[in-house]
Amino acid sequence: MIKLTIDGINLEVEAGKTILEAASAAHIKIPTLCYEEGLTIYGGCRLCVVEVEGERLLQPACATEAKEGMVVKTNTPQVREVRKTLFELIVASHDISCQLNCLTCSKNGNCELREAAEIIGISEMRLLPIDKGYGEDWSSYSIVREPNKCITCGRCIRKCEETQGIGIFTMANRGPATIVTTYGDKGMGNVECTNCGQCILSCPTGALHEVYHYEKVWEVLNDPKKHVVVQTAPAVRVAISEPFGGDPGTIATGQLVSALRRLGFDRVFDTNFTADLTIVEEGTELIKRITKGGALPLLTSCSPGWIKFIEHFYPELLDNVSTCKSPQQMFGALAKSYYAEKNEISREDLVVVSVMPCTAKKFEAQRPEMAGDVDYVLTTRELAQMIKTAGIDMEKLEEGEYDQLMGTSSGAADIFGATGGVMEAALRTAYELITGQELGMLDFKEVRGLTGIKEAEIEIGDLKVKAAVAHGLGNVRHLMERIKAGEEFHFIELMACPGGCLGGGGQPSPTNQHVREKRMKGLYNIDSLKELRKSHQNPYITKVYEEYLGEPGSHKAHQLLHTEYTARGV
Amino acid sequence: MQETLFLKHRESENIKDYPFSALKKALAMEPAGVVAEIKKSGLKGRGGAGFPTGVKWELALQEEADQKYVICNGDEGEPGTFKDRYLLEGTPFKVLEGIIIAAYACGAEQGYIYIRGEYDGPIRIFKKVLESAREKGIIGPNVMGSGFSFDLYLVKGAGAYVCGDETSLINSIEGKRGKSRIKPPYPITKGLFDRPTIVNNVETLAAAAEIINQGAERYLSLGTEDSRGTKLVCLSGDVCNPGVYEVEFGQVTLQEIIYDLGKGIKNNRPLKFVVPGGISTQVLTEQEIDIPYTYEDIAEAGSGLGSGAVVVVADGHDLVDLMLNVSRFFMDETCGTCFPCREGNRQVYHMLKKVNGNLNEEKSRIIADIGKTIHLAARCGLGQTSLNFINSVLKKFENELIVRGDS
Repeated sequence: MIKLTIDGINLEVEAGKTILEAASAAHIKIPTLCYEEGLTIYGGCRLCVVEVEGERLLQPACATEAKEGMVVKTNTPQVREVRKTLFELIVASHDISCQLNCLTCSKNGNCELREAAEIIGISEMRLLPIDKGYGEDWSSYSIVREPNKCITCGRCIRKCEETQGIGIFTMANRGPATIVTTYGDKGMGNVECTNCGQCILSCPTGALHEVYHYEKVWEVLNDPKKHVVVQTAPAVRVAISEPFGGDPGTIATGQLVSALRRLGFDRVFDTNFTADLTIVEEGTELIKRITKGGALPLLTSCSPGWIKFIEHFYPELLDNVSTCKSPQQMFGALAKSYYAEKNEISREDLVVVSVMPCTAKKFEAQRPEMAGDVDYVLTTRELAQMIKTAGIDMEKLEEGEYDQLMGTSSGAADIFGATGGVMEAALRTAYELITGQELGMLDFKEVRGLTGIKEAEIEIGDLKVKAAVAHGLGNVRHLMERIKAGEEFHFIELMACPGGCLGGGGQPSPTNQHVREKRMKGLYNIDSLKELRKSHQNPYITKVYEEYLGEPGSHKAHQLLHTEYTARGV
Repeated sequence: MQETLFLKHRESENIKDYPFSALKKALAMEPAGVVAEIKKSGLKGRGGAGFPTGVKWELALQEEADQKYVICNGDEGEPGTFKDRYLLEGTPFKVLEGIIIAAYACGAEQGYIYIRGEYDGPIRIFKKVLESAREKGIIGPNVMGSGFSFDLYLVKGAGAYVCGDETSLINSIEGKRGKSRIKPPYPITKGLFDRPTIVNNVETLAAAAEIINQGAERYLSLGTEDSRGTKLVCLSGDVCNPGVYEVEFGQVTLQEIIYDLGKGIKNNRPLKFVVPGGISTQVLTEQEIDIPYTYEDIAEAGSGLGSGAVVVVADGHDLVDLMLNVSRFFMDETCGTCFPCREGNRQVYHMLKKVNGNLNEEKSRIIADIGKTIHLAARCGLGQTSLNFINSVLKKFENELIVRGDS
């Protein structure tokens, strides 16, 4: 342990900790912009500079290791003065204009620049803003870049490269012309971007945000000719209260349903329903591949970020990917066929909107294979915006119930939103379908939690199923390399985002490890409180097979619920 | 007034005529002995920072690693500095000798010489030097039959001033963006390809070779306690006789360098100020230059000896224009990584550009504030010193500049 003093407080911290970490342990807040927990230290913004006794110059708290006997001062006239000037410099480079574009910014509610200004106590801006004059990047279906707002802190670069293992971003040019861009300035839609949106969560400003669909959704909601149905992904319910001041992980399923109804959606359905359906279809596929032969390991297909990843980086393994559409797209397909036919609504008049914790879902919805089954995809953030615009007091809403037939789901579907959840849901169903016996203990703890790669061997009758779970594309890449090296598995769950969908790129800011843990807890609580906890026992799933699809894996099921992939390469 | 010739000498272009006597001497010693000799000499790094060379080598020798590197920094970018070019063109064998001695002393079997991309001549010359040295067994396996193996590669810079900073230079050799690394770890422990690396300036290495050749005692007899030996001074600007001069520390004043060696100001104009160590150092006025040319005396006067570039500026220049010129340089050359340096230099440039004869107190204070912030908070030496010139001009000629604004 290292003993040091920060602002007169005597502290003991582990060797190797930085001044910033030590200060945080002592509940001293030092402003930062380029620092992000879990990413390498960049030391660029210099907002965290502090005085260290014996040092001539100020030292960056994020990049300076705590040393025995160190005397640190984080709040001196010199530090305050330097931070103020620094902040003026940063803001002058950040496209703040007399058009008050702060107000129209995607981060107007949670801008880290604003937070820093609040901490530093900015009272004057003496510098003229510099117009950098860059164009916006609208090449992607999922993500927009506004480089004029970029302060080149490099967090998106590091997130993409270090956490996600991809690296579509880079710094280009030199000096003040330094800019974050994509390879050859091609734009995010024309490089190997998986659309995961983790960069959006990392961006301290509004330089990155999703391609908004909410204006379009308002339009169709106001069009009396349109019948608008909405589906909500599992991870949304444990995050939607955050923008309204709620704790991460607060279970707000009922309020979510009520809010959507108040917004004017004609039917409020649950993506969970098709998550259950996915399990039945994918479980059937897994059993078939194991017993009758087929490409193994079977790789899950729910996460569109992961799908784009494998299409780019491991196209040779595309045969291993389950042909099941994701729950969002299964819902869209069923809504536009089964639901539309049953209720005699024409395809043109039916609008399917989904609320997703995900930016990649926007890309997925427009894939040609998906035939426009889902019209608009809102992120959790966009929905929160709509609820605010409508003046709905989210916290005070009564709890509503999902509409039927596509509103009932098992607890197995809720945990889809957490890493390991799809695996666990599949195991619950596969066990009973294969053995014909009831599963006693439903919790597969070995696939739960935030460890990057989780492995388990599960005995199902005579079969030993070797399973693995990876979340965050950096971990996914490691696992893919192991598969390529010949390691054998039967079934692997892969999610593009750290923590699974609950940590998705469409979730509210901040999304960090602490928040992910709380949202995860919320999802497992929902599951444990439900009577119905196995997908194949969902009576409405049985009904939809009886009424429409026939049996799992049937021709019709294949037509509607399965898809194919594109080898994209790099 | 005469030069003290320790380093400067004429070298034959043919490697056969160069005796490599320092190298032979070094190879006959233990590496620790070579380090001790350099340490004893008190030689300081001549790139600008002035870190004791012997201490650097000693730390490198103590490092244990499967591979160590020595890098000769020839990315001479500080405006007004051209002594490395002079050495690379005039005495390349001595530079080579210095590199090999450094490598032998620290246990590095591979080295790089990084030469500024614009230095066509030195690059051409050193390419030939490397070829002939390899042929002659001066580099390669078993250097001069000593059993020590060393190979040296030439890397051409791509035009970034920041790559003169050792960690940025290392990034550049690795093929990465030229930007400084966070220290620690220092290159001594984790440098090129994450291995222990010493980076020394061209002049430092040439001096090291000559110290081994002539002995530390001889070097110790030159200069002052804090500034040992001699220094190559690059005299430029409004002087009659610009050029590279070798002076013994403490034996001449800055004034004498300008008026005796440089033969005074062009057209006998009055002196406005002198930049005593390259444009990242503070300017000194006529009243401030009657001081011995040493690290300590120039520091005492509030500036730095830096790389040895003495730029003389006569009266009659537009001060704002000069500041704008320097500002433009730093704005273009900041690597763009840290905010104070990138945005500070950009803002100062834009402010000066808009001055238009109206430099008021407020603007001057903002520039001073930015200067302070950059100095205290920037990530590397480039940033920390980038506003030294401008702020010292603003401070020392404030009356003149502000008066000019009021008129």
